[in-house]
Amino acid sequence: MTLAPNEQLPDHDHFPHAAPAAHARRPRTAPPWWFVLPALLLFVFVVLVPSARGVYYAFTDWDGLDPNFSFVGLGNFADMFSDADAMQAIWHTLLIAVSITVLQNGLGLLLALGVNTAIKSRNVLRVFLFAPAVITPIVTAYLWRNLLGPDGGANSLLGVVGLDGSRQDWLGDPQLALWAVVGVIVWQYAGYSMVIFLAGLQSVPKEIHEAAEIDGAGPVRRFWSVTRPLLAPAFTINLMLSIIGGIKLFDQVYALTGGGPGHATDTISTLIYKDAFTLGEFGYSIALAVVLTIIVAVASTGQYLVLSRNERAAS
Amino acid sequence: MKTRIPTVLSAVVTAAALLAACSGGTKAGDSGGGGGSKTLTLASVDQGSVEDVVKAFEKANPGVKVRYTTSGADQYQQQIRTQLSSGTAPDVMSVWPGNGNPGATYVLAKPGYLRDLSDQPWAAELPDAIKSVAQYEGKTYNAIFGQNGIGAVYNQQALEKAGLTPPDTWKDLLAFCRAAADKGTPAFALGNQDNWVTQLVQYALVATTVYGDDRDFDKKMQTGQATFAQSQWTTALDKYLTMEKTGCFQKNPLGTNYEASQGLAATGRTLGIIQGNWVIALLKQKNPQGTFTFKALPATDDPSATIVPAAAGAGYGVNAKAKNEDLALKFVNFVMSPEGMNLFVKKQGGLPSLPDTGYAVDPSLAELSTFIRAGRTVPFMDQLWPNAKVQQTMLSGLQEIFSDQSTPEELLKEMDADYKAGS
Repeated sequence: MTLAPNEQLPDHDHFPHAAPAAHARRPRTAPPWWFVLPALLLFVFVVLVPSARGVYYAFTDWDGLDPNFSFVGLGNFADMFSDADAMQAIWHTLLIAVSITVLQNGLGLLLALGVNTAIKSRNVLRVFLFAPAVITPIVTAYLWRNLLGPDGGANSLLGVVGLDGSRQDWLGDPQLALWAVVGVIVWQYAGYSMVIFLAGLQSVPKEIHEAAEIDGAGPVRRFWSVTRPLLAPAFTINLMLSIIGGIKLFDQVYALTGGGPGHATDTISTLIYKDAFTLGEFGYSIALAVVLTIIVAVASTGQYLVLSRNERAAS
Repeated sequence: MKTRIPTVLSAVVTAAALLAACSGGTKAGDSGGGGGSKTLTLASVDQGSVEDVVKAFEKANPGVKVRYTTSGADQYQQQIRTQLSSGTAPDVMSVWPGNGNPGATYVLAKPGYLRDLSDQPWAAELPDAIKSVAQYEGKTYNAIFGQNGIGAVYNQQALEKAGLTPPDTWKDLLAFCRAAADKGTPAFALGNQDNWVTQLVQYALVATTVYGDDRDFDKKMQTGQATFAQSQWTTALDKYLTMEKTGCFQKNPLGTNYEASQGLAATGRTLGIIQGNWVIALLKQKNPQGTFTFKALPATDDPSATIVPAAAGAGYGVNAKAKNEDLALKFVNFVMSPEGMNLFVKKQGGLPSLPDTGYAVDPSLAELSTFIRAGRTVPFMDQLWPNAKVQQTMLSGLQEIFSDQSTPEELLKEMDADYKAGS
């Protein structure tokens, strides 16, 4: 709908100072630097200073309680590398992070492509598929803990469809437990990835698809050459979120298996918790947390650099 | 020994907020606190029973208000350490007996966070077994009001249905397991997915096999004359695995959690469960019509040699910097009075720590009471270990043995290494 010329007049009357010259100059005026100061101070004193002070304890043998503790230098870090449990936990963490990133986003993308078609129930499906992501992780973990029990829903279902032989001790078998945890997380967050991909898909102009189709491109070719490059920003954000989430993973693992059986599903985060609050080895636990921070920083920065380069190349 | 009650996270958050609000960290033993002298702060792990005790205490002391929080063991241990080190801890708090966990008597008394309670009237009356874990360096710090035992808790209706009677020798135990398994109802439920559960069968067997011949085993461990790997611990562990192989437990114990194991025993899908006596109250919640009886778990073929692990439960300590010391002592003494003690143990399904409280023992606990009176008990093994690591190594190690990731020899060697690392 177009506006009649007289309808624009009140606007001009209302903003007498908004001269065209001022409009043109505004984007070039940077806000005064000290505007950032309040936020920066808050960040420094609420986040940076406490974190830095926390890091100090990684070099001590503090037990979390006794005011008398001593400086042990790199001792905690040296212990970590000779601690089989810690090494195993780091391996589990990386394994979980990579599998979640691949599976959750792969599934999320397929779901997004599915519900982006013209099928009738697509709106209902979108809601259903996204629903698990809004439930608190600890709640889903406790639900699955019962579903995956020896007499739980998962095994009953296998029994009903006649696959009695495939019944498993999902969380009690050290070979399976880690994958059961990954499965629960993918179940919960695939819908989350789907929503981000869906937003990306809907921003792909129809015209480009039509043009490609006229040029003779099939559905696979159109996905690869048209959709995929235009989805690059969605990939970046999804992969970042899932790799960081995967590395930090705590709630679901702790509620599902407690890191067990034995240490078969311990991640860095569950080990940090146990070392600090069960064993009172705060120094060692903080050293582990420092390593976790470094892993997250390296993984996310590296990934961001690679993906944003791809993004630029694609656009 | 830690019993993990389902946690109430919100309670912890509230506790943190509430207790931060009345921080100060100054000693106010003299009644200079004005209106504050009528308010006592309390943090407790006795969910479900401390409420009644607080009510009775307030009734006995008109005008007194107890502001209390309850939480599960894990969250509590984390919360209390933070509060103690920042000077915001409550006047009275739950403290575990002995050593070996972050909220235990030795751990909290050593840096001086607890007030010496040796001058209180009940301190001298505690039985020796309890004194050993209520004291640190000869002074009493922990008002331990109750004690618990570990053994077999049988579902009487299920036993009758199966036509079996509780065994009192090792040979009979294995025969009992076979007979029960043949009838399709395994003898005992085992919830080893929750790793603290893994230790209970082991403790029940260690009590007889290790301490039966050698009551001074702990002293020998402390002086380095004994090790786990070179002791009867190997026999006990071997018997635990023999029980597993004989079919004493339901299938997939590692995939079964504590909650699920209660369900099995309460509804007669197993004939019983090897647990602490506290499980009786939980079984009754799941099956109010059921009758459950505690029996010692035999580990040898001589019934008179059987010993039960029975130990002090968590008690209460007084903050060395209590804002209201008089009221704090009054509360602790109320807990240790026959009235307070009986209220607690009745609700928790345990036995009182002091003799002569006039407590009428529930018939389901008659056997435990007999063993305690005859002195045929030993404290839970971890209560006298030098650090928390030994127990944690044992818990995850037992899970590893059950899932073929480790062997008994490896586990006992690791426990010895952790024990030697000291406190």
